[in-house]
Amino acid sequence: MVDLRDLEAQVAAREALLGRLRELLVERLQLRRTVDELDPDAPLFGSGFGLDSLDAVELVVCLESEFGVRVGDAIALRQVFRSLNTMTDLVLAERGGRP
Amino acid sequence: MTVAAQIRALRSGAVVGAGDHLACVRVRGAGAHDLLDRVSPRELFVRSGQLLHTVLLDDAALPIADVYIGCDDDDYLVIAEGMSGPAVADYLAAHAHGLDAAIEDTSASHAFLCLGGPYAWEVLAELTSPDVIGLPYLGFFHEPRFSCFRAGKTGEYGYDLWVERGRLAAVRERLAEVGRAFDLTEISADGLAVAALENWFWNPRRDVRPGLTPIELQLQWRVTYGRTFPGSAALAARRSAVRQRAVLAASAAELADDAAITVGDRTVGAVLHAEWSPTREEWIALALLDRTIAHAGLAGLVAHTRAGAAPVRTLSAPAVNNRSLYVDPQRHSYATRHLETFAPLVRA
Repeated sequence: MVDLRDLEAQVAAREALLGRLRELLVERLQLRRTVDELDPDAPLFGSGFGLDSLDAVELVVCLESEFGVRVGDAIALRQVFRSLNTMTDLVLAERGGRP
Repeated sequence: MTVAAQIRALRSGAVVGAGDHLACVRVRGAGAHDLLDRVSPRELFVRSGQLLHTVLLDDAALPIADVYIGCDDDDYLVIAEGMSGPAVADYLAAHAHGLDAAIEDTSASHAFLCLGGPYAWEVLAELTSPDVIGLPYLGFFHEPRFSCFRAGKTGEYGYDLWVERGRLAAVRERLAEVGRAFDLTEISADGLAVAALENWFWNPRRDVRPGLTPIELQLQWRVTYGRTFPGSAALAARRSAVRQRAVLAASAAELADDAAITVGDRTVGAVLHAEWSPTREEWIALALLDRTIAHAGLAGLVAHTRAGAAPVRTLSAPAVNNRSLYVDPQRHSYATRHLETFAPLVRA
């Protein structure tokens, strides 16, 4: 049975990554929001944070430079760039669960 | 037709359904902008022909309606879900003191039809003209038979058609004619609600509990802090006192609204709203969890329903890899869909 401590360890890994991704959105994409306003499941594009195709290019660069993660193709990009959580999923998967 | 069949049609083709859950209120007059600016929690920056997606809040910062605010030349339109047209008109009137604003509920004169699916654009192009393919998300236009808002809460291409009631039957009939080539399928209100949960659009009829503000519901993107609007003081105070957050959850076992969720012997939250997801072929839910563990990607939680203990894991939203992300109106067509290979509807 999983106990709360096991879960808190998983949460710590996600929170560390989410925190860095939030900072990147604010610093590199100049979102006019504070990091605590960036909900992890909010849509990145369209009506959510309102990112556009230029921001998508910047996000690709960020993922590679900050996390060493390359997103292979346009189709993968569409899945990954739906929310901060889907970006976090990718980075965690590429790193075998390590933040 | 079952909800599962409706959802399959929505995720792969095109569907149409009555939009009785939507109401539209028109605001006219020199004070129209100022009135909408007073009640909109989100900065009201919207050009004519554009919609802004936000919510209406009560004084305790609880969301009471999911709304699009549209700028229509000198007028504004408020398209609401979760409040009736008269209730929206009353809400606006209560905040209109000192403003020259005429508020008109259109519920008696107009109705909505909701068109959605990865090929909904193609149905609409047949119904109107190929120009609609270029209509951006949250854009709208008027044509003689109806107004068309590109919106929807299914994650697919979505168009809400706002039709005078006297023309409704004729538009329905024409849609049925052009829809034959696209296997256009009728979708029910229940089907639209399941689709909205699969894509995690907030449901103002189900995802409402005392104390749930846009912060707990991950709706802060629909709010601009620093503005004054109904509930703004309560929302600002809430920011430093958040104890729970809603996350998407899934289980192979049946989930139920209000089921307690535990980890080990500790209760960590509850199910807000559960549905069977035909796309994922498992139960999905919006779960309200203690803030310390309210994250996606966790396994080992247990929901306690009358049927027994259901193992639960949390997911990143949305729960569906919508085909509309991949269908390109410049390249694809419903008629040739079998020749294309698309990404699976559920992420690995």
